[in-house]
Amino acid sequence: MFEAFDYPFVQRALVEVLLLSLAAGTLGTWIVVRGLAFYSHGVAAAAFPGLVLADGLGFSATLGAFGVALLFALTVGQLAARGRGGHDSLTALVLVAALAIGVVLASDVFHSGANVETLLFGSLLAVDDADIRLAIVVAALALLATWTLGQRWLAVGFDPSAARGLGVRSPAADLVLLVLIALAAVATLSAVGALLATALLVVPAATVRMATRRMLPWQLGTIVLAAAEGTAGLWLSFETNAPPGATIAVIAGGIFALVALARSAATMYTRTRGVAQPLGLRPRVAFENSPEARSRGGEGAR
Amino acid sequence: MSGLASAPLVRTDALAVGYGAAPVLSDVSFDLRAGERIGVLGPNGGGKTTLFRALLGELKPLGGALDLAARCGTVPQTERSRLDFPVSALDVALMGAIAGRPWWKHPGRAERRAAREALARVGLAELADRSFGELSGGQRQRVLVARALVQDARIVLLDEPFTGLDAVSIRRLEDLLDELAGEGRGVLIATHDVEQARAWDRVLCLNRRQVAFGPPAETLSLDVLAATYGGSIVTLPAVAGEGERLALLPPHHHDHEH
Ligand SMILES: Nc1ncnc2c1ncn2[C@@H]1O[C@H](COP(=O)(O)OP(=O)(O)O)[C@@H](O)[C@H]1O
Ligand SMILES: [Mg+2]
Repeated sequence: MFEAFDYPFVQRALVEVLLLSLAAGTLGTWIVVRGLAFYSHGVAAAAFPGLVLADGLGFSATLGAFGVALLFALTVGQLAARGRGGHDSLTALVLVAALAIGVVLASDVFHSGANVETLLFGSLLAVDDADIRLAIVVAALALLATWTLGQRWLAVGFDPSAARGLGVRSPAADLVLLVLIALAAVATLSAVGALLATALLVVPAATVRMATRRMLPWQLGTIVLAAAEGTAGLWLSFETNAPPGATIAVIAGGIFALVALARSAATMYTRTRGVAQPLGLRPRVAFENSPEARSRGGEGAR
Repeated sequence: MSGLASAPLVRTDALAVGYGAAPVLSDVSFDLRAGERIGVLGPNGGGKTTLFRALLGELKPLGGALDLAARCGTVPQTERSRLDFPVSALDVALMGAIAGRPWWKHPGRAERRAAREALARVGLAELADRSFGELSGGQRQRVLVARALVQDARIVLLDEPFTGLDAVSIRRLEDLLDELAGEGRGVLIATHDVEQARAWDRVLCLNRRQVAFGPPAETLSLDVLAATYGGSIVTLPAVAGEGERLALLPPHHHDHEH
């Protein structure tokens, strides 16, 4: 049943997926904590025209993608450092522009043809040594940065207004996070592509978030879940001949939906029965319906 | 800093602050001394949070002067996103110790002890490992005070810390603020409750600009309250044990739903 994993190219894909899970498991939690999900989607999409350009001009795809992604990260970081919160409208703008430029470059300038699909949705079964080396570097950097800068990222995410008083409002630490996410997005491109990068980077972290309440278990759980989803997707795509990136995305999305459903079912159950909520499944609604939350309602604190 | 007992922790002069080119708050001239509690009064949108953001360094002054003798600790306005944050009370208190160590280091034993001691001081020793979002409103405010204690902030800003608290929690927090001032910290408290502010040392009335500043007894006149809250004021007849009381009839309000 698992003879898929006898093939060297599948084994290589598996190594790539496991390495990316390490990076995604740690960075994914920071993406969720800092509200950067849309940014990560944007930075991956921004890499698309870079890939097309590199493909058309014949230089390293990774370099092309990372160049553009880095530019994007620096722009957003610059705006954030100047105190213009809400990267979202900028991200949306860049997202659309990047896809449009990428498509025009691909269809009208370089006539990239079939490559475009690969660039948009990845080609996990065709990863090469360079892809794996990049994944190793990204995973190592993600773990190292989480270990050293994690406390700062957490404190700023918890209470941005207090950050300066606490002496942690260093734009550098936040910029490192943005650049690392850009790097991870680029590393993920080869596996699941520009449009599905969030399937690895964000969805597993968002899934595990619903069942954990501290950073460390959340991060470990996310690494395990991303690895499991990647492995399952890889296997299933081999068996069904479906594209691996899309298969992983469908599995990740499906598990997210299941966990969300289970959680709201548990909420309904405990609310109708009036019993204490089981650990790890305490729902948000409990807060939102408290008299306290209601009296706060409407007063936008930001 | 000079050793003068009267040297203020905060001093502003004709301070103007805003989010764009136009200030949303202007003409702010006040000072905060060590050991003093100042109540910051004003309607919704009056500029209380904006003033705090300027003191915290988030907003640069658009005009006037702002001098701070120390970095501020803060108990921010309650925000829903924080309730869902994956941290314990101890984690939050430990955030106050970050500046004290090199950026690559994790909190050590001494820092953990300091954080637990701060939680004990605010009466939360047993709840140190509880999730922040699971605590009651009053307990959460005290965790944030503990963070300021770990940080050893000489200036503490509290933005509407009493909103949504029951009477017992309000008393506890008020006592805690008295203690903070008692040990020489300067405390600024934004509040909606004029009567509460009468117990503090001075009041700062804001309504898009500074309306008045001074000791409550002299400052909180009918005219000042009317200018601060933009409503009309009626005098309630004296009730048993208390003298006459003022009540404010707010103008028809838009942004409040309860
Ligand atoms: N982030 C922001 N951007 C632009 N204007 C803001 C922002 N935050 C608050 N304001 C405006 O500044 C004014 C003062 O708000 P604020 O300081 O929050 O009042 P308060 O805390 O007293 O309720 C309000 O008119 C509000 O609309
Ligand atoms: Mg406010």
